[in-house]
Amino acid sequence: MFAHRQIILIAALIVGGGQALGQAPSEDSYDYFRLNCSSCHTIGGGDLVGPDLKGVLDRQERDWLIDFMLDPAGTIDGGDAYAQEIFRAAKGQYMTKIPSLDRAKAGAMMDLITHESGLEKSVFAGMQLSDRPLTRDDEKLGRKLFLGQAEFAAGGPACNSCHTLVDLGGFGGGRLGPDLTSAYSRLDGRKALSAWLSAPPSEVMSPVFADHPLEGDEVLALVAFLKHAAASGEMEAESLTMDFLLASFAGAALVLILLDLAWRKRYRATRRPLLNRTRAGKATR
Amino acid sequence: MNDFLLFVVLPYLALGTFFLVTIQRYRQRTFSYSSLSSQFLENKQHFWGSVPFHYGLLFVLGLHLAGLFIPNAILSWNAEPARLFITEITGLAMAVVALVGVVNVIVRRFNFSKARRVTTTSDWVIYLLLVVQIGSGIYVAIYQGWGSSWFATNAVPWLWSLFSLQPDVSYIASMPLSVKVHVVNAFLLIGFFPFTRLVHVLVVPNHYLWRRTQVVLWNRDRRRIRQAK
Repeated sequence: MFAHRQIILIAALIVGGGQALGQAPSEDSYDYFRLNCSSCHTIGGGDLVGPDLKGVLDRQERDWLIDFMLDPAGTIDGGDAYAQEIFRAAKGQYMTKIPSLDRAKAGAMMDLITHESGLEKSVFAGMQLSDRPLTRDDEKLGRKLFLGQAEFAAGGPACNSCHTLVDLGGFGGGRLGPDLTSAYSRLDGRKALSAWLSAPPSEVMSPVFADHPLEGDEVLALVAFLKHAAASGEMEAESLTMDFLLASFAGAALVLILLDLAWRKRYRATRRPLLNRTRAGKATR
Repeated sequence: MNDFLLFVVLPYLALGTFFLVTIQRYRQRTFSYSSLSSQFLENKQHFWGSVPFHYGLLFVLGLHLAGLFIPNAILSWNAEPARLFITEITGLAMAVVALVGVVNVIVRRFNFSKARRVTTTSDWVIYLLLVVQIGSGIYVAIYQGWGSSWFATNAVPWLWSLFSLQPDVSYIASMPLSVKVHVVNAFLLIGFFPFTRLVHVLVVPNHYLWRRTQVVLWNRDRRRIRQAK
């Protein structure tokens, strides 16, 4: 882990030095942006959940941006006027704090954004996903992928391990992550949701999906399914949790009854009264 | 930094203690490997403590070990929602059975003076750890449901990163508090294990899990003994 940090630090220094000489940012920086930033930001492709970062250094000081990246919620809640403004523009969504981000890496990201902003078209100008209309087949595939009945090509886990959604059937989906019924409307539709799914940035999801990214068709299928779900209404998660609880308690009661039956010849009904009578000094014969 | 202490340092300390002390204790104090059962002192309430506790806990522990060693098999099984529900309901039911057991064990140990007299401080500590462990597990099963799947995808990679000596806490660092309590308490249990009578788990063969019950019969003639006086 330590060696890994050092490598990144050295990489960041090389990137920093390279910038001065007009060299391109390192491959590591591109990977880091793709994994941690591209799900909410484009460079020259318009706003997603977060603002388009093209020319961001013309709009704000480098040091302010780095401080903000290191503690987004703290800066916003601290009352900084500019932070409040971008917070409102993002419809009240806090920027995710990235655990692995440090000052050197934040600096490397600034260099990468500067470099990419100067290009005619950045590789981060927008998703390379198709704009084709979403079909009923997409929706069906999305449901299967969500439930795990169809596998993700790169081996990522099924959504319902951690998320539930309206109309999943049975006891619904997992409860580790949020209910995704309103994800489509919360993320403001197809474009931002697709970007989000292409590199899930949440702290719980990013380590799991870093090596198992979703493919373009899979993203579109899930978007179609989530769009359908958003139109269907509210989730009844609490009543499903209660059903699950009752079923489990019934199962526990059944197991206790079975244990009692399995040991029905144990030391009790006949033998314990016999022993008690003997102890009380009465004849047992 | 706290994450590093709780999810890297603590697990290594606990596992190190577990292996070193169990081996050292077995070599030096072989006959201390015993469950020190108090069934002989009281065996009526004992049944509703010991039996549900053991079978409930062994089942749930087995599910956790299956998740650890064959995560992909568990995920393939869970890929069909009906099968996922079977796993989750059975798991939670057995956890509730184990909780019923451990609560009965504690109540019995507290209420019966004979049993209380043979209960050491380490027993009370282990009971507390077990209640926290089973209780937090039940809480997680209800409020962070479908752990049989997300344990395999989110927690198992962290555990294997520990075993391969390349600890990566990113998987576990952002888990909800209840999950962290369950994990930290698990390693406290593992670390404390070799100092308690829980070591009887390790003594193979554990044939008392499936052997027939033992029945002790008194066949002396009490009248003859009285007359002989």
